[in-house]
Amino acid sequence: MKNIFGSLRRRMMLAPGRAVLALWVLFTAVLVGWIIVASFSTTREIFTNTLLETGLHFENYTKALINHNVGLYFLNSLLYTISSSVGILLVAAPAAYALSRFRFPGNRMIQGSFVASLGVPQIMLVLPLFALASQLRMTNSRALLIVLYVCLNVPFTTFFLLSFFSTLSRSFEEAAAIDGCGPIRAFWTIMFPLAQPGIITVAIFNFIVVWNEYFIALVFANNSEQRPLAVGLYAMVQSMRYTGDWAGMFAAVVIVFVPTFLLYIFLSERIIAGVTGGAIKG
Amino acid sequence: MKNKNWVLAIFILPAVLSFLLVFLYPTIRTFVMSFFYVRTVTDGMAKWEFVGIANYLKLLGSTMFRQSLKNIFLIWVWGGIGVFAVAGLFAVLLTSEGIGRKEKSFFRAAIYLPNVVSAVAMATMWIQYAFNTKYGLFFTIFNALGLEKAAGFQWTSPDNQFFAMTLAYSFGMVGYYLLIFMAGIEKIPRDFFEAATIEGAGMLRKFRGITVPLMRDVLRTGIVMWSISTVAFFIWSQMFSPLDPDIGTITPMVYMYNLVFGRNLTLTDPRLLNSGAGAAVGVMMTAAILVVFGLVNLLIRQRDLEY
Repeated sequence: MKNIFGSLRRRMMLAPGRAVLALWVLFTAVLVGWIIVASFSTTREIFTNTLLETGLHFENYTKALINHNVGLYFLNSLLYTISSSVGILLVAAPAAYALSRFRFPGNRMIQGSFVASLGVPQIMLVLPLFALASQLRMTNSRALLIVLYVCLNVPFTTFFLLSFFSTLSRSFEEAAAIDGCGPIRAFWTIMFPLAQPGIITVAIFNFIVVWNEYFIALVFANNSEQRPLAVGLYAMVQSMRYTGDWAGMFAAVVIVFVPTFLLYIFLSERIIAGVTGGAIKG
Repeated sequence: MKNKNWVLAIFILPAVLSFLLVFLYPTIRTFVMSFFYVRTVTDGMAKWEFVGIANYLKLLGSTMFRQSLKNIFLIWVWGGIGVFAVAGLFAVLLTSEGIGRKEKSFFRAAIYLPNVVSAVAMATMWIQYAFNTKYGLFFTIFNALGLEKAAGFQWTSPDNQFFAMTLAYSFGMVGYYLLIFMAGIEKIPRDFFEAATIEGAGMLRKFRGITVPLMRDVLRTGIVMWSISTVAFFIWSQMFSPLDPDIGTITPMVYMYNLVFGRNLTLTDPRLLNSGAGAAVGVMMTAAILVVFGLVNLLIRQRDLEY
Protein backbone atom coordinates (compact mmCIF):
# COMPACT_ATOMS: atom_id res chain seq x y z
CA MET A 1 0.00 0.00 0.00
CA LYS A 2 2.76 2.35 1.02
CA ASN A 3 4.51 1.56 -2.22
CA ILE A 4 1.56 2.63 -4.36
CA PHE A 5 1.32 5.92 -2.51
CA GLY A 6 5.06 6.36 -2.90
CA SER A 7 4.96 5.97 -6.66
CA LEU A 8 1.88 8.18 -6.86
CA ARG A 9 3.67 10.86 -4.93
CA ARG A 10 6.66 10.58 -7.19
CA ARG A 11 4.42 10.97 -10.23
CA MET A 12 2.85 14.06 -8.74
CA MET A 13 6.25 15.54 -8.09
CA LEU A 14 7.33 14.85 -11.65
CA ALA A 15 4.26 16.50 -13.17
CA PRO A 16 5.49 20.11 -13.02
CA GLY A 17 8.86 18.99 -14.32
CA ARG A 18 7.23 17.23 -17.23
CA ALA A 19 5.20 20.34 -17.98
CA VAL A 20 8.32 22.51 -18.13
CA LEU A 21 10.08 20.02 -20.40
CA ALA A 22 7.05 19.84 -22.66
CA LEU A 23 6.81 23.63 -22.89
CA TRP A 24 10.50 23.88 -23.71
CA VAL A 25 10.16 21.36 -26.53
CA LEU A 26 6.94 22.98 -27.74
CA PHE A 27 8.71 26.32 -27.96
CA THR A 28 11.48 24.77 -30.08
CA ALA A 29 8.93 23.07 -32.29
CA VAL A 30 6.98 26.31 -32.85
CA LEU A 31 10.19 28.22 -33.54
CA VAL A 32 11.28 25.76 -36.22
CA GLY A 33 7.79 24.90 -37.45
CA TRP A 34 6.75 28.50 -38.01
CA ILE A 35 9.87 29.14 -40.10
CA ILE A 36 9.02 26.15 -42.29
CA VAL A 37 5.43 27.34 -42.77
CA ALA A 38 6.59 30.92 -43.38
CA SER A 39 9.01 29.69 -46.04
CA PHE A 40 5.99 28.56 -48.09
CA SER A 41 4.06 31.79 -47.62
CA THR A 42 4.44 35.25 -49.10
CA THR A 43 6.16 38.16 -47.40
CA ARG A 44 2.82 39.97 -47.15
CA GLU A 45 1.25 36.96 -45.43
CA ILE A 46 4.12 36.88 -42.94
CA PHE A 47 3.59 40.50 -41.97
CA THR A 48 -0.19 40.22 -41.77
CA ASN A 49 -0.12 36.94 -39.84
CA THR A 50 -2.08 35.09 -42.49
CA LEU A 51 0.42 32.35 -43.33
CA LEU A 52 -0.39 30.02 -46.23
CA GLU A 53 -3.60 31.91 -47.07
CA THR A 54 -2.85 31.77 -50.77
CA GLY A 55 -1.51 28.23 -50.74
CA LEU A 56 2.00 26.87 -50.90
CA HIS A 57 4.55 29.14 -52.53
CA PHE A 58 7.35 26.91 -53.73
CA GLU A 59 8.74 29.80 -55.73
CA ASN A 60 10.37 31.08 -52.51
CA TYR A 61 12.69 28.12 -52.80
CA THR A 62 13.43 28.52 -56.48
CA LYS A 63 14.07 32.23 -55.90
CA ALA A 64 16.41 31.53 -53.00
CA LEU A 65 18.22 28.73 -54.82
CA ILE A 66 18.71 30.61 -58.06
CA ASN A 67 18.40 34.38 -57.55
CA HIS A 68 20.14 34.44 -54.20
CA ASN A 69 22.79 31.90 -55.12
CA VAL A 70 21.75 29.51 -52.35
CA GLY A 71 21.95 26.61 -54.81
CA LEU A 72 25.64 27.29 -55.37
CA TYR A 73 26.27 27.71 -51.63
CA PHE A 74 24.50 24.43 -51.04
CA LEU A 75 26.77 22.61 -53.50
CA ASN A 76 29.81 24.26 -51.91
CA SER A 77 28.71 23.15 -48.45
CA LEU A 78 28.09 19.64 -49.70
CA LEU A 79 31.56 19.53 -51.29
CA TYR A 80 33.32 20.89 -48.20
CA THR A 81 31.41 18.71 -45.80
CA ILE A 82 31.70 15.41 -47.63
CA SER A 83 35.33 15.77 -48.68
CA SER A 84 36.50 16.92 -45.29
CA SER A 85 34.52 14.27 -43.40
CA VAL A 86 36.23 11.62 -45.55
CA GLY A 87 39.61 13.35 -45.32
CA ILE A 88 39.44 13.58 -41.54
CA LEU A 89 38.86 9.84 -41.27
CA LEU A 90 41.70 9.03 -43.70
CA VAL A 91 44.12 10.97 -41.49
CA ALA A 92 42.70 10.35 -38.03
CA ALA A 93 41.71 6.67 -38.13
CA PRO A 94 45.21 5.26 -38.84
CA ALA A 95 46.68 7.60 -36.24
CA ALA A 96 44.13 6.58 -33.62
CA TYR A 97 44.83 2.94 -34.41
CA ALA A 98 48.60 3.32 -34.13
CA LEU A 99 48.39 5.40 -30.95
CA SER A 100 46.14 2.86 -29.28
CA ARG A 101 48.14 -0.18 -30.46
CA PHE A 102 51.85 0.54 -30.47
CA ARG A 103 54.13 1.67 -27.69
CA PHE A 104 56.68 4.14 -28.93
CA PRO A 105 58.44 7.19 -27.56
CA GLY A 106 56.23 10.24 -27.88
CA ASN A 107 52.96 8.34 -27.94
CA ARG A 108 51.65 9.91 -24.73
CA MET A 109 52.94 13.30 -25.77
CA ILE A 110 51.06 13.15 -29.07
CA GLN A 111 47.86 12.11 -27.30
CA GLY A 112 48.32 14.90 -24.77
CA SER A 113 48.94 17.51 -27.47
CA PHE A 114 45.82 16.44 -29.36
CA VAL A 115 43.69 16.78 -26.23
CA ALA A 116 45.24 20.16 -25.41
CA SER A 117 44.50 21.42 -28.91
CA LEU A 118 40.78 20.97 -28.22
CA GLY A 119 41.07 23.91 -25.85
CA VAL A 120 42.84 26.29 -28.23
CA PRO A 121 40.38 28.87 -29.55
CA GLN A 122 40.28 29.53 -33.29
CA ILE A 123 41.04 33.18 -32.63
CA MET A 124 44.57 32.01 -31.71
CA LEU A 125 45.05 30.10 -34.97
CA VAL A 126 43.48 32.11 -37.72
CA LEU A 127 46.01 34.94 -38.28
CA PRO A 128 49.10 32.83 -39.09
CA LEU A 129 46.99 30.47 -41.17
CA PHE A 130 45.67 33.40 -43.17
CA ALA A 131 49.19 34.78 -43.67
CA LEU A 132 50.40 31.38 -44.76
CA ALA A 133 47.50 30.87 -47.14
CA SER A 134 48.02 34.22 -48.81
CA GLN A 135 51.75 33.57 -49.15
CA LEU A 136 50.85 30.38 -50.96
CA ARG A 137 48.19 32.35 -52.89
CA MET A 138 45.57 29.93 -51.68
CA THR A 139 42.96 32.22 -50.13
CA ASN A 140 39.52 31.89 -51.63
CA SER A 141 40.21 28.39 -52.85
CA ARG A 142 37.97 25.45 -52.14
CA ALA A 143 40.92 23.11 -51.62
CA LEU A 144 42.33 25.32 -48.87
CA LEU A 145 39.09 25.28 -46.94
CA ILE A 146 38.89 21.49 -47.16
CA VAL A 147 42.50 21.11 -45.98
CA LEU A 148 41.80 23.42 -43.05
CA TYR A 149 38.64 21.57 -42.05
CA VAL A 150 40.49 18.27 -42.19
CA CYS A 151 43.45 19.45 -40.12
CA LEU A 152 41.34 21.31 -37.57
CA ASN A 153 39.18 18.27 -36.85
CA VAL A 154 41.90 15.58 -36.83
CA PRO A 155 42.86 15.90 -33.13
CA PHE A 156 39.29 15.49 -31.86
CA THR A 157 38.54 12.61 -34.23
CA THR A 158 41.79 10.81 -33.39
CA PHE A 159 41.11 11.21 -29.71
CA PHE A 160 37.53 10.02 -30.12
CA LEU A 161 38.53 6.89 -32.06
CA LEU A 162 41.32 5.85 -29.68
CA SER A 163 39.00 3.95 -27.36
CA PHE A 164 37.28 2.16 -30.23
CA PHE A 165 40.53 0.74 -31.55
CA SER A 166 41.94 -0.14 -28.14
CA THR A 167 39.02 -2.51 -27.45
CA LEU A 168 39.63 -4.61 -30.59
CA SER A 169 41.34 -7.95 -30.14
CA ARG A 170 44.93 -8.28 -31.31
CA SER A 171 44.29 -11.74 -32.72
CA PHE A 172 42.87 -10.20 -35.90
CA GLU A 173 46.15 -8.58 -36.88
CA GLU A 174 48.10 -11.69 -35.91
CA ALA A 175 45.92 -13.83 -38.14
CA ALA A 176 46.28 -11.30 -40.96
CA ALA A 177 50.07 -11.26 -40.58
CA ILE A 178 50.22 -15.05 -40.71
CA ASP A 179 48.20 -14.99 -43.90
CA GLY A 180 50.75 -12.59 -45.38
CA CYS A 181 48.59 -9.52 -45.21
CA GLY A 182 50.67 -6.37 -44.70
CA PRO A 183 49.89 -4.01 -41.82
CA ILE A 184 48.48 -1.23 -43.98
CA ARG A 185 46.13 -3.52 -45.85
CA ALA A 186 45.24 -5.28 -42.62
CA PHE A 187 44.28 -1.95 -41.10
CA TRP A 188 41.98 -0.80 -43.90
CA THR A 189 40.39 -4.18 -44.61
CA ILE A 190 40.10 -5.58 -41.08
CA MET A 191 40.58 -3.07 -38.25
CA PHE A 192 38.90 -0.06 -39.84
CA PRO A 193 35.63 -1.93 -40.54
CA LEU A 194 35.70 -3.41 -37.03
CA ALA A 195 35.78 0.07 -35.51
CA GLN A 196 32.72 0.95 -37.56
CA PRO A 197 30.43 2.02 -34.71
CA GLY A 198 32.90 4.69 -33.66
CA ILE A 199 33.79 5.64 -37.22
CA ILE A 200 30.18 6.22 -38.27
CA THR A 201 29.38 8.21 -35.13
CA VAL A 202 32.36 10.50 -35.51
CA ALA A 203 31.79 10.90 -39.26
CA ILE A 204 28.21 12.09 -38.69
CA PHE A 205 29.45 14.35 -35.95
CA ASN A 206 32.11 15.87 -38.21
CA PHE A 207 29.56 16.26 -41.00
CA ILE A 208 27.40 18.41 -38.73
CA VAL A 209 30.35 20.41 -37.40
CA VAL A 210 31.69 21.23 -40.87
CA TRP A 211 28.24 21.91 -42.31
CA ASN A 212 27.57 24.49 -39.61
CA GLU A 213 31.09 25.95 -39.47
CA TYR A 214 31.12 29.67 -39.96
CA PHE A 215 34.22 31.56 -38.82
CA ILE A 216 36.90 29.77 -40.84
CA ALA A 217 34.73 29.94 -43.95
CA LEU A 218 34.09 33.64 -43.38
CA VAL A 219 37.82 34.35 -43.21
CA PHE A 220 39.05 31.99 -45.91
CA ALA A 221 36.20 31.76 -48.41
CA ASN A 222 34.25 34.98 -48.20
CA ASN A 223 33.79 35.23 -51.90
CA SER A 224 30.40 34.60 -53.42
CA GLU A 225 31.83 31.76 -55.53
CA GLN A 226 33.28 29.76 -52.65
CA ARG A 227 30.89 30.56 -49.81
CA PRO A 228 29.33 27.68 -47.95
CA LEU A 229 25.70 27.91 -46.87
CA ALA A 230 26.21 29.36 -43.40
CA VAL A 231 28.20 32.34 -44.70
CA GLY A 232 25.88 32.64 -47.71
CA LEU A 233 22.85 32.75 -45.45
CA TYR A 234 24.45 35.50 -43.40
CA ALA A 235 25.09 37.54 -46.55
CA MET A 236 21.54 36.89 -47.67
CA VAL A 237 20.00 37.94 -44.35
CA GLN A 238 21.97 41.16 -44.62
CA SER A 239 20.81 41.90 -48.14
CA MET A 240 17.21 41.15 -47.09
CA ARG A 241 17.13 44.57 -45.49
CA TYR A 242 17.20 46.00 -48.97
CA THR A 243 15.31 43.39 -50.97
CA GLY A 244 12.61 42.82 -48.33
CA ASP A 245 12.08 39.22 -49.47
CA TRP A 246 11.35 37.71 -46.05
CA ALA A 247 9.74 34.57 -47.45
CA GLY A 248 12.84 33.90 -49.56
CA MET A 249 15.03 34.39 -46.50
CA PHE A 250 13.03 31.85 -44.50
CA ALA A 251 13.29 29.43 -47.41
CA ALA A 252 17.07 29.86 -47.26
CA VAL A 253 17.02 29.20 -43.52
CA VAL A 254 15.14 25.97 -44.15
CA ILE A 255 17.62 24.96 -46.86
CA VAL A 256 20.47 25.50 -44.39
CA PHE A 257 19.05 23.45 -41.56
CA VAL A 258 17.26 20.66 -43.40
CA PRO A 259 20.31 18.42 -44.10
CA THR A 260 21.58 18.31 -40.52
CA PHE A 261 18.01 18.25 -39.22
CA LEU A 262 17.18 15.15 -41.28
CA LEU A 263 20.42 13.44 -40.26
CA TYR A 264 19.52 14.19 -36.68
CA ILE A 265 15.98 12.84 -36.92
CA PHE A 266 17.23 9.50 -38.18
CA LEU A 267 20.44 9.25 -36.21
CA SER A 268 19.89 11.23 -33.01
CA GLU A 269 20.89 8.35 -30.71
CA ARG A 270 24.20 7.95 -32.51
CA ILE A 271 24.91 11.68 -32.55
CA ILE A 272 24.13 11.98 -28.86
CA ALA A 273 26.41 9.03 -28.12
CA GLY A 274 29.14 10.84 -30.04
CA VAL A 275 28.72 14.04 -28.06
CA THR A 276 28.79 12.40 -24.67
CA GLY A 277 31.59 10.02 -25.66
CA GLY A 278 33.76 12.95 -26.70
CA ALA A 279 33.01 15.17 -23.74
CA ILE A 280 33.06 12.78 -20.84
CA LYS A 281 36.44 11.32 -21.56
CA GLY A 282 37.84 14.84 -21.87
CA MET B 1 61.92 -3.75 -36.74
CA LYS B 2 62.86 -1.10 -39.23
CA ASN B 3 59.87 -2.11 -41.28
CA LYS B 4 57.62 -1.56 -38.28
CA ASN B 5 58.83 2.01 -37.74
CA TRP B 6 58.12 2.78 -41.34
CA VAL B 7 54.54 1.53 -41.01
CA LEU B 8 54.11 3.50 -37.81
CA ALA B 9 55.22 6.67 -39.58
CA ILE B 10 52.69 6.18 -42.36
CA PHE B 11 49.93 5.75 -39.79
CA ILE B 12 50.82 8.64 -37.55
CA LEU B 13 52.67 11.29 -39.55
CA PRO B 14 49.69 12.79 -41.42
CA ALA B 15 47.84 13.43 -38.15
CA VAL B 16 50.93 14.81 -36.41
CA LEU B 17 51.77 17.06 -39.36
CA SER B 18 48.24 18.44 -39.50
CA PHE B 19 48.45 19.17 -35.78
CA LEU B 20 51.79 20.96 -36.24
CA LEU B 21 50.43 22.92 -39.20
CA VAL B 22 47.13 24.19 -37.83
CA PHE B 23 47.66 24.12 -34.07
CA LEU B 24 51.26 24.31 -32.90
CA TYR B 25 52.73 26.62 -35.55
CA PRO B 26 49.86 29.16 -35.49
CA THR B 27 49.75 29.21 -31.68
CA ILE B 28 53.46 30.03 -31.42
CA ARG B 29 53.36 32.57 -34.22
CA THR B 30 50.29 34.34 -32.84
CA PHE B 31 52.00 34.56 -29.45
CA VAL B 32 55.14 36.10 -30.95
CA MET B 33 53.15 38.35 -33.23
CA SER B 34 51.28 39.88 -30.30
CA PHE B 35 54.47 41.71 -29.29
CA PHE B 36 54.96 43.30 -32.70
CA TYR B 37 53.41 46.06 -34.73
CA VAL B 38 52.23 44.26 -37.86
CA ARG B 39 50.54 46.53 -40.36
CA THR B 40 48.66 43.87 -42.29
CA VAL B 41 48.22 40.25 -41.42
CA THR B 42 50.01 39.10 -44.57
CA ASP B 43 53.23 41.00 -43.78
CA GLY B 44 56.28 38.75 -43.49
CA MET B 45 58.25 38.67 -40.25
CA ALA B 46 60.88 40.98 -41.73
CA LYS B 47 58.35 43.82 -41.69
CA TRP B 48 57.30 43.29 -38.09
CA GLU B 49 58.25 46.00 -35.64
CA PHE B 50 58.85 44.99 -32.02
CA VAL B 51 56.73 47.01 -29.59
CA GLY B 52 56.83 44.96 -26.38
CA ILE B 53 53.50 44.92 -24.61
CA ALA B 54 52.22 48.06 -26.36
CA ASN B 55 49.52 46.13 -28.21
CA TYR B 56 48.13 44.80 -24.94
CA LEU B 57 48.23 48.22 -23.30
CA LYS B 58 46.47 49.86 -26.23
CA LEU B 59 43.79 47.21 -26.31
CA LEU B 60 43.12 47.56 -22.61
CA GLY B 61 42.96 51.32 -23.10
CA SER B 62 40.31 51.00 -25.82
CA THR B 63 36.72 51.48 -24.63
CA MET B 64 35.39 49.19 -27.34
CA PHE B 65 37.73 46.34 -26.40
CA ARG B 66 37.03 46.71 -22.69
CA GLN B 67 33.32 46.59 -23.50
CA SER B 68 33.86 43.40 -25.52
CA LEU B 69 35.56 41.80 -22.51
CA LYS B 70 32.73 42.92 -20.28
CA ASN B 71 30.19 41.46 -22.71
CA ILE B 72 31.70 37.99 -22.83
CA PHE B 73 32.23 38.05 -19.09
CA LEU B 74 28.52 38.74 -18.61
CA ILE B 75 27.58 36.03 -21.13
CA TRP B 76 29.94 33.65 -19.34
CA VAL B 77 28.50 34.37 -15.89
CA TRP B 78 24.76 34.88 -16.52
CA GLY B 79 24.45 32.59 -19.52
CA GLY B 80 26.52 30.02 -17.66
CA ILE B 81 24.41 30.14 -14.51
CA GLY B 82 21.21 29.93 -16.56
CA VAL B 83 22.39 27.11 -18.81
CA PHE B 84 23.89 25.02 -15.99
CA ALA B 85 20.83 25.50 -13.76
CA VAL B 86 18.31 24.57 -16.47
CA ALA B 87 20.43 21.73 -17.87
CA GLY B 88 21.08 20.42 -14.35
CA LEU B 89 17.40 20.50 -13.46
CA PHE B 90 16.40 18.81 -16.71
CA ALA B 91 19.13 16.20 -16.30
CA VAL B 92 17.93 15.27 -12.80
CA LEU B 93 14.32 15.13 -14.00
CA LEU B 94 15.08 12.99 -17.03
CA THR B 95 17.22 10.51 -15.10
CA SER B 96 14.70 10.10 -12.27
CA GLU B 97 12.92 6.78 -11.94
CA GLY B 98 9.49 8.01 -12.97
CA ILE B 99 10.58 8.83 -16.54
CA GLY B 100 10.39 6.00 -19.05
CA ARG B 101 13.16 5.21 -21.49
CA LYS B 102 11.31 6.43 -24.56
CA GLU B 103 10.21 9.62 -22.90
CA LYS B 104 13.75 10.26 -21.78
CA SER B 105 15.33 9.85 -25.19
CA PHE B 106 12.61 11.94 -26.83
CA PHE B 107 13.12 14.90 -24.52
CA ARG B 108 16.88 14.59 -24.65
CA ALA B 109 16.90 14.54 -28.45
CA ALA B 110 14.41 17.40 -28.78
CA ILE B 111 16.27 19.65 -26.35
CA TYR B 112 19.61 18.95 -28.02
CA LEU B 113 18.21 19.74 -31.49
CA PRO B 114 19.32 23.42 -31.69
CA ASN B 115 22.93 22.22 -31.43
CA VAL B 116 22.82 20.46 -34.78
CA VAL B 117 21.29 23.43 -36.60
CA SER B 118 23.56 26.09 -38.07
CA ALA B 119 23.90 29.00 -35.63
CA VAL B 120 23.19 31.43 -38.47
CA ALA B 121 19.86 29.68 -39.05
CA MET B 122 19.05 29.57 -35.32
CA ALA B 123 19.89 33.25 -34.87
CA THR B 124 17.75 34.14 -37.89
CA MET B 125 14.82 32.25 -36.41
CA TRP B 126 15.17 34.12 -33.12
CA ILE B 127 15.72 37.57 -34.58
CA GLN B 128 13.29 37.41 -37.47
CA TYR B 129 10.58 35.41 -35.75
CA ALA B 130 10.75 34.98 -31.97
CA PHE B 131 11.80 38.57 -31.26
CA ASN B 132 9.87 40.25 -34.09
CA THR B 133 7.53 42.92 -32.77
CA LYS B 134 4.97 42.72 -35.58
CA TYR B 135 4.27 39.02 -35.97
CA GLY B 136 6.79 37.45 -33.58
CA LEU B 137 6.34 34.50 -31.23
CA PHE B 138 6.76 36.40 -27.96
CA PHE B 139 4.54 39.19 -29.30
CA THR B 140 1.80 36.66 -30.10
CA ILE B 141 2.11 34.79 -26.81
CA PHE B 142 2.10 37.90 -24.62
CA ASN B 143 -0.78 39.40 -26.60
CA ALA B 144 -2.81 36.22 -26.18
CA LEU B 145 -2.15 36.38 -22.44
CA GLY B 146 -3.29 40.00 -22.42
CA LEU B 147 0.14 41.26 -21.40
CA GLU B 148 0.30 44.16 -23.80
CA LYS B 149 3.26 45.76 -22.13
CA ALA B 150 5.33 42.58 -22.42
CA ALA B 151 4.15 42.12 -26.01
CA GLY B 152 5.50 45.54 -26.91
CA PHE B 153 8.95 44.74 -25.51
CA GLN B 154 11.56 45.78 -28.09
CA TRP B 155 13.85 42.75 -27.94
CA THR B 156 16.36 43.88 -30.52
CA SER B 157 16.55 47.56 -29.59
CA PRO B 158 20.01 48.72 -28.47
CA ASP B 159 18.98 48.62 -24.80
CA ASN B 160 17.74 45.05 -24.87
CA GLN B 161 19.73 43.34 -27.59
CA PHE B 162 22.43 42.04 -25.27
CA PHE B 163 19.81 40.37 -23.09
CA ALA B 164 17.99 39.00 -26.13
CA MET B 165 21.22 37.67 -27.62
CA THR B 166 22.32 35.96 -24.40
CA LEU B 167 18.87 34.44 -23.97
CA ALA B 168 18.71 33.06 -27.52
CA TYR B 169 22.28 31.74 -27.37
CA SER B 170 21.84 30.11 -23.97
CA PHE B 171 18.56 28.49 -24.98
CA GLY B 172 20.37 26.45 -27.61
CA MET B 173 23.31 25.59 -25.37
CA VAL B 174 21.13 23.92 -22.72
CA GLY B 175 20.88 20.78 -24.85
CA TYR B 176 24.63 20.17 -24.92
CA TYR B 177 25.04 20.48 -21.16
CA LEU B 178 21.93 18.39 -20.62
CA LEU B 179 23.65 15.57 -22.53
CA ILE B 180 26.88 15.68 -20.60
CA PHE B 181 25.12 16.05 -17.22
CA MET B 182 22.80 13.13 -17.99
CA ALA B 183 25.71 10.97 -19.07
CA GLY B 184 27.45 11.87 -15.81
CA ILE B 185 24.44 11.01 -13.66
CA GLU B 186 23.86 7.75 -15.48
CA LYS B 187 27.37 6.62 -14.66
CA ILE B 188 26.64 6.80 -10.93
CA PRO B 189 25.70 3.31 -9.71
CA ARG B 190 21.94 2.93 -9.20
CA ASP B 191 22.47 1.28 -5.79
CA PHE B 192 23.52 4.61 -4.30
CA PHE B 193 20.16 6.15 -5.09
CA GLU B 194 18.25 3.03 -4.09
CA ALA B 195 20.02 2.85 -0.74
CA ALA B 196 19.27 6.53 -0.17
CA THR B 197 15.61 6.03 -1.11
CA ILE B 198 15.30 3.16 1.39
CA GLU B 199 16.83 5.41 4.03
CA GLY B 200 14.04 7.88 3.24
CA ALA B 201 16.00 10.54 1.35
CA GLY B 202 13.95 12.83 -0.90
CA MET B 203 14.86 13.95 -4.41
CA LEU B 204 16.61 17.12 -3.26
CA ARG B 205 18.53 15.32 -0.56
CA LYS B 206 19.72 12.71 -3.05
CA PHE B 207 20.71 15.43 -5.51
CA ARG B 208 22.79 17.27 -2.90
CA GLY B 209 24.20 14.19 -1.22
CA ILE B 210 24.96 11.93 -4.17
CA THR B 211 24.62 13.56 -7.56
CA VAL B 212 26.52 16.80 -6.96
CA PRO B 213 29.56 15.37 -5.18
CA LEU B 214 29.93 12.52 -7.66
CA MET B 215 29.59 14.83 -10.63
CA ARG B 216 32.56 17.07 -9.88
CA ASP B 217 34.40 15.72 -12.89
CA VAL B 218 31.50 16.43 -15.23
CA LEU B 219 31.01 19.88 -13.75
CA ARG B 220 34.68 20.63 -14.31
CA THR B 221 34.54 19.53 -17.94
CA GLY B 222 31.34 21.54 -18.34
CA ILE B 223 32.80 24.78 -17.03
CA VAL B 224 35.88 24.45 -19.24
CA MET B 225 33.71 23.70 -22.30
CA TRP B 226 31.46 26.66 -21.53
CA SER B 227 34.48 28.93 -21.30
CA ILE B 228 35.88 27.70 -24.61
CA SER B 229 32.57 28.29 -26.39
CA THR B 230 32.14 31.72 -24.79
CA VAL B 231 35.56 32.81 -26.04
CA ALA B 232 34.48 31.74 -29.53
CA PHE B 233 31.33 33.87 -29.30
CA PHE B 234 31.08 35.36 -32.77
CA ILE B 235 28.12 34.56 -35.04
CA TRP B 236 25.43 35.54 -32.56
CA SER B 237 27.09 38.89 -32.04
CA GLN B 238 27.39 39.45 -35.78
CA MET B 239 23.77 38.47 -36.32
CA PHE B 240 22.46 40.79 -33.63
CA SER B 241 24.37 43.83 -34.85
CA PRO B 242 24.70 43.12 -38.51
CA LEU B 243 26.17 46.23 -40.05
CA ASP B 244 28.78 47.54 -37.68
CA PRO B 245 30.09 45.98 -34.53
CA ASP B 246 27.92 47.41 -31.84
CA ILE B 247 29.07 48.38 -28.38
CA GLY B 248 26.11 46.45 -26.94
CA THR B 249 26.97 43.09 -28.47
CA ILE B 250 30.64 43.23 -29.43
CA THR B 251 32.85 40.35 -28.29
CA PRO B 252 36.65 40.02 -28.48
CA MET B 253 36.45 37.73 -31.49
CA VAL B 254 34.27 40.22 -33.40
CA TYR B 255 36.64 42.98 -32.35
CA MET B 256 39.62 41.01 -33.60
CA TYR B 257 37.90 40.14 -36.86
CA ASN B 258 37.20 43.80 -37.55
CA LEU B 259 40.67 44.85 -36.50
CA VAL B 260 42.40 42.44 -38.85
CA PHE B 261 40.01 41.62 -41.66
CA GLY B 262 37.44 44.38 -41.47
CA ARG B 263 37.41 47.65 -43.29
CA ASN B 264 35.86 49.29 -40.34
CA LEU B 265 38.19 52.11 -39.39
CA THR B 266 35.63 53.91 -37.28
CA LEU B 267 35.78 51.08 -34.78
CA THR B 268 39.06 52.07 -33.24
CA ASP B 269 41.76 54.63 -33.56
CA PRO B 270 43.75 53.91 -36.72
CA ARG B 271 47.02 53.55 -34.81
CA LEU B 272 45.50 50.49 -33.20
CA LEU B 273 44.59 48.95 -36.50
CA ASN B 274 47.34 46.42 -36.59
CA SER B 275 47.32 42.67 -36.79
CA GLY B 276 49.68 42.42 -33.83
CA ALA B 277 46.86 43.74 -31.67
CA GLY B 278 44.58 41.12 -33.22
CA ALA B 279 47.08 38.48 -32.16
CA ALA B 280 47.15 40.00 -28.66
CA VAL B 281 43.37 39.54 -28.45
CA GLY B 282 43.88 35.85 -29.27
CA VAL B 283 46.60 35.48 -26.64
CA MET B 284 44.42 37.09 -23.99
CA MET B 285 41.52 34.79 -24.80
CA THR B 286 43.73 31.69 -24.71
CA ALA B 287 45.16 32.88 -21.40
CA ALA B 288 41.63 33.33 -20.07
CA ILE B 289 40.83 29.70 -20.91
CA LEU B 290 44.03 28.54 -19.22
CA VAL B 291 43.20 30.55 -16.10
CA VAL B 292 39.69 29.08 -15.94
CA PHE B 293 41.12 25.61 -16.48
CA GLY B 294 43.63 26.11 -13.65
CA LEU B 295 41.08 27.60 -11.26
CA VAL B 296 38.51 24.94 -11.95
CA ASN B 297 41.05 22.20 -11.31
CA LEU B 298 42.15 23.91 -8.13
CA LEU B 299 38.69 24.63 -6.74
CA ILE B 300 36.85 21.50 -7.80
CA ARG B 301 39.24 18.90 -6.49
CA GLN B 302 39.19 15.42 -7.82
CA ARG B 303 38.02 13.00 -5.16
CA ASP B 304 38.73 9.30 -4.99
CA LEU B 305 35.08 8.55 -5.48
CA GLU B 306 34.25 9.45 -9.05
CA TYR B 307 32.05 7.76 -11.55
